[in-house]
Amino acid sequence: MSTTAEHPGGIAGHIHPEPQGFIRRYVFSIDHKIIGIQYIITGFVFFILAGLLAETIRAQLFNASGGFVTPQTYNEVYSIHGSSMVWLVVIPLVTGGFGNLVFPVQIGARDVAFPWLNMLSFWIFPVAGLMLFSSFLMGAPTAGWTEYPPVSLQGAAGTSMWAAAIFLVGVSSTLTGINFVVTIMQMRAPGMTFTRMPLFVWGQFATAPLLMIATTALAAALAALFMERQFGVPFYDPTKGGSPVMWQHMFWFYSHPAVYIMILPAFGIISEVLPTFARKPIFGYKLIAFSSMSIALAGFMVWAHHMFTSGLAPYLQLPFMIITFVIAVPTGVKIFSWTATLWGGKIHYSTAMLFAMGFVALFTLGGITGIFLAAVPYDLHLHGTYFVVAHFHYVLVGGSMMGIFAGMYYWFPKMSGRLLNEKLGHWHFWLFFIGFNGTFLPMHWLGIEGMPRWVATYDPQFEFWNRFASISSVVMGVGILLFFINVLWSIRFGKKSGPNPWGARTLEWQVPSPPHYYNFKNIPTVYGLPYDFSQPLPYKGLDDELNDTPPAALAGAHH
Amino acid sequence: MAVATLGHAGEHEEVDQLYKETRDLRLQGFLLFLISDCVLFSSFIFAYLYMRNSGQGWPPPGIQRLDVAFAAVNSVVLFGSGATMHYALENWKHGNFMKYAWCLIATIVLGACFLGGQGYEYTHLIYVDHVTWAGSGIFGASFFTLTGMHGFHVFMGVCYLTVLLLQSTAGVYTKSKYFGLTAGTLYWHFVDIIWVFLFSLFYLI
Repeated sequence: MSTTAEHPGGIAGHIHPEPQGFIRRYVFSIDHKIIGIQYIITGFVFFILAGLLAETIRAQLFNASGGFVTPQTYNEVYSIHGSSMVWLVVIPLVTGGFGNLVFPVQIGARDVAFPWLNMLSFWIFPVAGLMLFSSFLMGAPTAGWTEYPPVSLQGAAGTSMWAAAIFLVGVSSTLTGINFVVTIMQMRAPGMTFTRMPLFVWGQFATAPLLMIATTALAAALAALFMERQFGVPFYDPTKGGSPVMWQHMFWFYSHPAVYIMILPAFGIISEVLPTFARKPIFGYKLIAFSSMSIALAGFMVWAHHMFTSGLAPYLQLPFMIITFVIAVPTGVKIFSWTATLWGGKIHYSTAMLFAMGFVALFTLGGITGIFLAAVPYDLHLHGTYFVVAHFHYVLVGGSMMGIFAGMYYWFPKMSGRLLNEKLGHWHFWLFFIGFNGTFLPMHWLGIEGMPRWVATYDPQFEFWNRFASISSVVMGVGILLFFINVLWSIRFGKKSGPNPWGARTLEWQVPSPPHYYNFKNIPTVYGLPYDFSQPLPYKGLDDELNDTPPAALAGAHH
Repeated sequence: MAVATLGHAGEHEEVDQLYKETRDLRLQGFLLFLISDCVLFSSFIFAYLYMRNSGQGWPPPGIQRLDVAFAAVNSVVLFGSGATMHYALENWKHGNFMKYAWCLIATIVLGACFLGGQGYEYTHLIYVDHVTWAGSGIFGASFFTLTGMHGFHVFMGVCYLTVLLLQSTAGVYTKSKYFGLTAGTLYWHFVDIIWVFLFSLFYLI
């Protein structure tokens, strides 16, 4: 824990000398903003790979008889698609990516609490990602992203590699969680009380303990799986006295909170974007903040709703069902607060706003199907069908990914100093939105009619809607392609944004784009919420930030 | 011997000042690390209790109950090391360097004794009772995994405390700047508390 020894000074100091040279500045950087961008780039690279796997799935399912790849390969493809989308794309993007990039500036800090630990967290992540994809070389896991034993015990050698890779990603997440909790607890600028923090910070503050606690539980489950596969230590094999259901308990004790890890920061992004482009104070600030916390807390008490068909005792099913229903209340509070924020607002249909509004619509749909699945009798019918696939793609793609895209359009100027092209952005949004619904909406009725997940061929009666979904997925893919073209083009030729292109009021917009490595010359004093658009800015001590002179503290810093 | 006589006085005041401002960050970070480590143990303890209650009785047929007496003595050794660690930190705070050093050395020795005892117990189990990690069903799996994880933590603790001893004799810490010692003490108590649970759950019930 001696990593902070060279960065002393609490929130007032915590200023490190200017990084020298390409390696220290962009590769092994300890600047939270650079690390955030590293996460975002790496996450999107894995997003492309996992997206190609998704298109492979849709190509296979174009015909009822399959035929694009062998069933064995198909199993590997959807397993790695799910694993990498969850652990290498969405979680790193919303926590390590946008979290690192934005929230330390939003609370008025010069960096996170443990910059070296932050760098370590990042560099574990691409290594683990390469390990995960390298499992294709030795026979990838075939039991889906959940890797239930006994199938995962019989899987090829790549399954052990999978377990090791996810374990490493977990280490990275845990370190990030510790770093974020301490940063938010200890490093807020003077006057930045908890109830004045921007809602994105609240999103991260609710998520970080989940990263820290839930991920370690998964680490135990993965370690046990690894030991059983490599050394024959019986944990899950029923023939040696182990229990496959135990894996499900340990896995979902992590993985249910993990869905909140993926969505709570996205809630935060949406809560920044909506008021900015509706030019209205956010409705129900405290309700949105505290509902994030209550979702995070309740998220630990619902894991067995994934296991209603695993022989769970009926007296256990009922409380898990009810607590799951209860989670809909704070989630509904958020949806209504966002809708009320839009009500009577002067809405600017920028691309970020389109994605944010798309998020509210699609996430609501995904949330409603979640209520279906939480009801035990209905779940018994739908478990393991495409209805489940539709549900979690609505909350993860329609929710988290839409949030990530909203965040990209919103904060890209802060990363690069240039705006993303709005026209291409609108094309991206509409192709993505239409393609997404075309792909996943039919899966609802496919699932209700009984089409099972995780099959390489299916009954011909489902062929029409599967073909519809496959064609729509290409539309979605084209939309994503436009996004990448947009990023690559705008980073060179985009319109210069200036410090605050959106007229937003959180702290990151009051400093240059991109911010200096020290974020603030003078740590500001905060005396209000950032969402009152008609009022003067609630900060003191920011007058100097847009000048080019470095802060006085740096002149005397010798390290 | 007073602790704060090492190095230049002015230099230390400056470091002390900076240290006061960063202290809470590191302490909190370390406590959070211990919490997440605790979840790791809790998950394996959950797994153990889950398997234990899976209906075949405990210990499973063909396996002897564990020897409580020896483990109890070994536990006393470990808990004793917790006490000496506590006195080591207290003595450091009061500037009694020699007492601190002897208490820390006692902690390290007791920790090593505990590891030796555990090694003896493992050897006895494996070669006399033929209970192994992978070959004795869920009993071997849960016992060796959990106590092995704990033993690994004790081993890391012994190494860390040795480093702390060397660092403190080399003047890395001062009377008011001793975060490493605080972290070491917290870690050692954490390992002790985990053992309370493991001892109760494996040997007593």
